[in-house]
Order: sequence, then C-alpha cells, then structure tokens
Amino acid sequence: MRFFDKQNKVIPEGRVEAVDKVTGGGKYAAEYKVDNLCYGILVDSTIPSGSIKNIDLTKAQQVKGVVGFVTHLQKPNVPGFATEDLIKQSRFGLPIFHTDKIYFKGQPIALVIAETLEDATYAATLIEVEYNTASFQVDFDAVHHNIPLQEAGRERGQIDSWRNAPYVIEEEYNIKSEVHNPMEMHATIAEWTGERHLKLYDKTQGVNNVQQVIAPLFNLEKENLEVVSEFVGGGFGSGLRVWPHVLATVMAAKQVSRPVKLMLTRPQMFTGTGYRPASWQKIKLGADASGKFLGIHHQAKNETSLYERFSDQITRVTRLIYNFDNLKTEDALVPLNLSAATWMRGPGDCTGDFAIECAIDELSYKLKMDPVDLRSKNIAATHHPENKLPWSSNYLLECISIGAKHIGWDNRSPMPNSMKDGDWQIGYGMAVGMWNAGRNKTSAAIKMLADGRIIVQTAMTDIGTGTGTGMKNIAHETTGIPQDKITVELGNSSLPPAPSQGGSTGMSSVSGAIVEASNALKLKLAEYAALINIDFRNLSPDAILLSGKGISRKENPNETVTYADLWEQNKLDNVVVEATSGPGEERKKYAFCSSAAHFCQVRVNVKTGKVKIEKLVCIADGGKIVNEKAAANQMSGAAVGGIGMALMEEKLIDAKIGGLIGDDLAGYHFPVNADAPMIDVHFIGKPDPYINPTGAKGLGEVGIIGTAAAIANAIYHATGKRLRNLPITPDTIVG
Amino acid sequence: MIRVKINPIMAKNEKLSRRFFLKTTGVLTLLAAIPASLKSAYKQVKDFIVIQKKTAPLTISVNKKAYTLDSDTRTTLLDLLRENLALTGTKKGCDHGQCGACTVHVDGERVLSCLTLSAMVSGKEVTTIEGIANDGQLHPMQEAFIVCDGFQCGYCTPGQIMSAIACIKEGHANSVTEIKEHMSGNLCRCGAYNGIVESIQKVATS
Ligand code: FES
Ligand code: FES
Repeated sequence: MRFFDKQNKVIPEGRVEAVDKVTGGGKYAAEYKVDNLCYGILVDSTIPSGSIKNIDLTKAQQVKGVVGFVTHLQKPNVPGFATEDLIKQSRFGLPIFHTDKIYFKGQPIALVIAETLEDATYAATLIEVEYNTASFQVDFDAVHHNIPLQEAGRERGQIDSWRNAPYVIEEEYNIKSEVHNPMEMHATIAEWTGERHLKLYDKTQGVNNVQQVIAPLFNLEKENLEVVSEFVGGGFGSGLRVWPHVLATVMAAKQVSRPVKLMLTRPQMFTGTGYRPASWQKIKLGADASGKFLGIHHQAKNETSLYERFSDQITRVTRLIYNFDNLKTEDALVPLNLSAATWMRGPGDCTGDFAIECAIDELSYKLKMDPVDLRSKNIAATHHPENKLPWSSNYLLECISIGAKHIGWDNRSPMPNSMKDGDWQIGYGMAVGMWNAGRNKTSAAIKMLADGRIIVQTAMTDIGTGTGTGMKNIAHETTGIPQDKITVELGNSSLPPAPSQGGSTGMSSVSGAIVEASNALKLKLAEYAALINIDFRNLSPDAILLSGKGISRKENPNETVTYADLWEQNKLDNVVVEATSGPGEERKKYAFCSSAAHFCQVRVNVKTGKVKIEKLVCIADGGKIVNEKAAANQMSGAAVGGIGMALMEEKLIDAKIGGLIGDDLAGYHFPVNADAPMIDVHFIGKPDPYINPTGAKGLGEVGIIGTAAAIANAIYHATGKRLRNLPITPDTIVG
Repeated sequence: MIRVKINPIMAKNEKLSRRFFLKTTGVLTLLAAIPASLKSAYKQVKDFIVIQKKTAPLTISVNKKAYTLDSDTRTTLLDLLRENLALTGTKKGCDHGQCGACTVHVDGERVLSCLTLSAMVSGKEVTTIEGIANDGQLHPMQEAFIVCDGFQCGYCTPGQIMSAIACIKEGHANSVTEIKEHMSGNLCRCGAYNGIVESIQKVATS
C-alpha cells in the first residue's frame, strides 16, 4: 500500500500525510494509474420533467476513440436493479439508466466512454435526445405554503400554556439551498479485476459504505469489492452517499470490459452529489419578563427530490441547547423537480440553529437584556433538556464567557445602529451551536514489524480532518512507541472496518479503537516477553511500557526485553492485533454534546451594503483536543463555511427553465481568502470523561452551527435592520 | 439559429470600451444581414459534420524535463499534465478558470493551466508542484504550509503553493490584507485560509 508513503520525513510537527499533500504526491481518486484506462462523461437531461423519447447516438458513434455507451436502452446487467421492487429495496435513490423518466434537469441519462477525455467530452455533445416533456415545479418559495406540516418528534409540555407570555417573538426564516462543492470534484475509477471482483478508487467519506451499497447490486461478496479512498479532496457531507455516477462508472467498466474513469464536471457537482436543501422556518418563542424561556414552537420545511425524500431534521437542534418546558416541533418536505438533497456540514442543526439564535437575539433586544446574559440564563448546562440525562460534559457557558472576552464584547454599545465610523456601521453579534456528540463502532489494527515500527490501520477515511495524524498521536500516547516509528494506513476497505467520516464522529469513533488496539498490542507483546522473563506474565496494559526498542514494565522500566529478542525467541514474523470499540452502557447514563460559542464583529457600509467581517471568534468544547493545529483548522474552516452561508452561498434556480443557473464556481460564491478575517479559535480542551477512552469529541459540525446567526445578529446590531433570510446580500441591506 | 446575447446593461454601460462596442454591434449587424435561409443551412452543415480529432507535435519543458509528443490540439495544459504526463499534483477544481486549483508557473508567472491549451506552452518552461522541491529538499513554501497547517484536504494546496510563491515574487505579501487579496483567486473550500496566510507571511518575512 502506497498510502502516506512520505510519512515522517522532513517535518515532524506536520500531519502524517503533509509531505504528500504539499508535493502533489498524494493520490486522489482520479489520479491512480490504471492500465488500459478509458474515460467516461455523463450526459445530462436538458429538461426538468418528462421522459426520454429517443436517444440518438449516431453522431457520437462517429467520433474516433469512442469505445461505448451506457443508456437505459443499452446497458450491462445490474442484478440488484432487475425489477422495480429490487430498485426500491436497494434504496439507492435515482435508478440511473433503469428508467426513461426525467425527474430533474441535469439528470444523467447517458454515458459516453472513450479513449481520451477529449474524445469522450466531444462525443457527449453529439448525443441527441428527444423528450416527452411534462409540467414541473422547482420553486420552493412558490409552493411550500401548500404543503401541510406534520408533527416532528414528541410535543413537550403544552403549546397553549404560554399563549399569554409577556414577551413573544414570532418570525419566519428562509435559507437558500447551499451546495457542498468540495474542491475535488467527485470521481470514480472502476476496474473489474475478475468476473466477480471489482476495485473502485472513489471519492467518498466512507469506503465501507460504498462497499455495502455497490456489492449487493452486482451480487458480489463484500470482500471481492475493494474500495480505495486514501486522499479525499473535501466532502462536507457530499461523500456520505453513493451517488449515481459511481454506479454509472461501474456499469461502464462492465459494458466495455475495461477500467473506466469518470470525474464529474463542476456543474454536475450541483446536481450529482447533493446539497443543503432550501428551507422555510417559523419560530415562536415566548419568555417571561426575567428572560426565562416559556416555550418554543418550531416549524420547518425543506425541499427534496421527487424520487427520494430527504428530511434535513431542522427542528432537532431546538431540543438540545436550552431549558424550557413547552416545545412543539413540526416539519414537512416539499418535493420538487430537483436532484436529491443530502446532509451538508452541520446538517439540519445549522439551519434550525440559525432561526433559533436569531429569534433569541431579537428577544434580547425586546427585553433590553444583553444577548450573552439571555443565553446564559437559559442554557441547559447540566442536563440534556429533553431526556434529562446529565451531560457527560458541557462547557458551553465557559465558551460564551471566553468568547465575549476575546471579541471585546464590553466595547459594544447595547443599542443597535449606535456605533459608527464614517460610512461604516459597526456591530457585534453572537450565537451558540451544539451537536449531539456521537460515536460509532470502529475497528483498528496495529501491525508491528521486527524493527519495532508499527503500522496503525483502519478503513476510515481522512477527508482533511486530521484523522490519520490523530491516530498516530493516540497510538503514540497509548503505546509509548516514538512518533517516528509509527505510520498510518487508512481509507481502504480491506483494512479493519470503520464507519464513514461524518457527523463529527470520526475522531471520537476511531480513537477508542486505536486505544484498544494499542492495549492489545501491549498484552500480546507481554505474552511473548513472559516466555523470556516470567515477570511479564499477567500484566495489565497500564503496567506495560513500550519504547522504540522493546518492552518493559512500569515497575521496573530499566529492564527491557528488546523486540529483537522477542522476535528471535518466538520466531515471529509480524505481530498483528485488531480491536473493535464502540459506544456502550455510558450512553444510557449520560447525554453527549460538543458545543461552541461564536462571536462576530462586522462593519456594514451604509451606502453599498457591503458587509466586512472584522473579527470572528469561535470557542469550542470538543473534549480533549487530540491535535490542536488540525482541530483549530477544522474550526476556522467551518467558520469560513458559516460566512458563506450567511453572506453569499445560494444555489440559483430559474423557475422558468426548471433548472439551475450559475452552477459553477463563478456563479456560486463561497468565501475566498479576502472574504474571511483571520479567525480566532480557542478550545476548552477538557477531556470528556465518558465518551470514549481518549475523551475527544467531534468538532466538524459545531464550527459552523451558529456562525451564520452570529453574523446576522451582528448586522442587526450594526444597522438596526433584522434580516431573517439567508444569504444576506448587499441589496437586502440597503434595500 | 445562431444566438448572440448581449447583456443590455453591459451594452448601455458607458465605461465599456468604444472598440468593444463597435465590434459587438458590428457582429450584430452582420448577423442580421445574413438571410435566415443561409443561417439554417449553416446549422444543418454544422450539425452534420463530426469534426475529427487533430493532433500536433508538441515539445514542452515541464520541471526542466523536455517532452516531445503528439498532442490532441484540444488538450489543455492541465489535462496534459494529469492525464498524459502522470503529473497529477496539479489539480482540477473547475476546469473553467474559476478556482485556482490548477495554478502552475509558465516562465515563472502563475498561470491557470485549465485555461491554457497545451499548444500554447510550446517552447516555454512549465513548473508544477512536483518541480519546486530541490533534490528532495522541500521549497520553503512547502515547508511553511506543513508547519502552519495551511491545508486540510490538500486538494487546493498545490495551486495555493504555486500562487503563494508567485504572490511573494510579485511583491504582494506585505500585509495580511494584501496577501488575502492576491490569494483570492485560489479557492479553498475547507477554509484553511488562516494557515495559508500564515504560511505566506512566514516565507515572506524569512
Ligand atoms: S481548474 Fe483551473 S481554475 Fe479551476
Ligand atoms: S485544503 Fe481542502 S480545499 Fe483547500
């Protein structure tokens, strides 16, 4: 395995894969060298609704270099899609190449395979499709009113009981759809290495997930499908699903009996790999004169496709952060002629939290109370507000007070629209975010070589989160083996199984497995050592010390049995241990969360409506921080995502043509370097006592949950204008 | 039908050069003058002909190594590097000059390789991320990106580093604001901008 092959060279304080990333050596999905490779290009439907009448390949066939096609009329057999029922059971989503129906504009309907990328790209333009068109609807704002709400989760208390609350905020919030747009466009290389053996190099956040989805479609044994995803150019949720293009590539490789590479184009990334659905929300929040929350009524709707229903679970976060007795949550899905939506960084909570945190901010001004104090008064600091379990740890109140100091909250004059500098209005805002800290069952292995080097392995991917480096740090801390003798292998389905990297569970899940595997290694080596020196018998992992050279006991650290002796005496080859670790009884006794407080200072230009984020401070409680630099990077990166959500990101839809416009990186704006200030990140850094053996909680989501609200609240404070729809663009500020 | 779309606001914009205005109105008049029958005949011809690929001999120098090959005339420098020369360090993030992931140096200047046809670099010196380390010794900018953690997923990183080297060389690394401004053609969806700026500051001040 080539992965991370320059680990440990040159700069020890960097990430394990750092050299590969800065030299261009690391291989992302589309970059593997595969013999006899040809190229696939997807052809998309140009209408939003209807069916395919005819696909004419005549012209495309005339292009020299074209090797083959896949359409719903000419395709290899996919046993898992053999009948309508099987298709439904597979829960794959879009039945690509197994229907003549058009559900959305941009739906892949044909695939050209050619010798070169240029040939395939050109031939794809020559495919002529005739359609039966049908009526369509893509306009969320125009139709969501017609869809009735349904109860979303249990009602708490009595909605009627706070009807006469002295302070009530009742407002609506609309957020446009956002697209993940990781910098690496999704790509797959599919190679049938035998009749019943398949190898995929795929951009994904979870190799085992790809294996589980694709293997049954072709009746393959799971072990006979190897999925490789060693370097992943970002995901943010787009890699948590197996998308139609992956299956398309596998089918193409079967069709032409050659390995096929397919990379989506940037416009295809807008319809092919999910998005955060557009949403509407209504919040009714009641409080008494002291600021104590009496109740919340949270309603939400999100758009979804016609061929699968995706709920973003927007009201979930309302059950998480604050204490109050009465809660009613309702939601609804609005099916449209659009591609499937999916989880995007801080899914659901990011959206719901924006509405809640803006409403609370609004309430604070009504009460003439400091927004910091109002939150602190209501935060559920000791127990989960819904199930009443004690938090394993929750330092959100500390996050708030530290954040207030860092931003200089004391410099803020309480009145909105009261701080000015020439044409610029200055404002401060804050918001908090929280995320259920999960953990999933994960396996890891450690392989020790005769020279004392160890290789730490798991199938989990590292999508830029620093998982590999974290694994190495944990293995070093638990075993005592020096860093320069540890290498990491990951992102391959033939390694010990692991869940997908997502929902901020990666580090929390894998860390437990590495600790267990490290302990298993200690015990195994002690067993061998006991055959040489009886004192090593029956030791607990804590009593065993490993070093670069050999094994010793804590009691007598100077007496070492060298690895050389161990190997020699026991005639060892490699020592391999594997361990699995997951959540257990602690989940019944405690509730788990990561949390963050976001503070923001903005300048808003009176004349142009331009918003400049002057300062963005993010203080997070993510338990023990396994790698401070990578963790801070995660947080500041998420905050940058929050700037995008607040000020610019918007998937533009033309209701007349029934499809997207501006579906590239010139039309879809996310923050460039100059849009973000240097972001100020700090951690509480206290290990969570129960979540897993290391005390590390996930961070990826809480970095973005609350950022957009903090910005919107700062804009209100600067201008006195309450903007409840995202993105907040200059025209909405001056308009 | 041939459609030429002119944004009405643009056309009215007085700041637009007179030359551009004359040129575009010229094209419009010309188009209007073509009889409709001829236009549809042209379309039919265009629809009928399947243009076949052309190759041309190409000699280029990448990372001081000379390559002579027969190259598809449609091939961009980016695809040439990634698909034909196995230099996959240069990344494709959009293929349309919108993201900076494909930044390389051509004769020492930063250039978007996805907007550059390979035929255009004939006889020029191309430097990619694979070519900036010296005998296994990392370029100071590569080292700074590691030390300052100037990346997460690493996909924008080669482009960032190539741009960062040029940014300093162009004299645009004198403050955080200036660095941010002159690095804004290189998108990073992971949002690793803190580390990117710190890396450049580190190299600029050393
Ligand atoms: S790939 Fe060239 S600018 Fe995006
Ligand atoms: S490091 Fe992932 S896009 Fe920049």
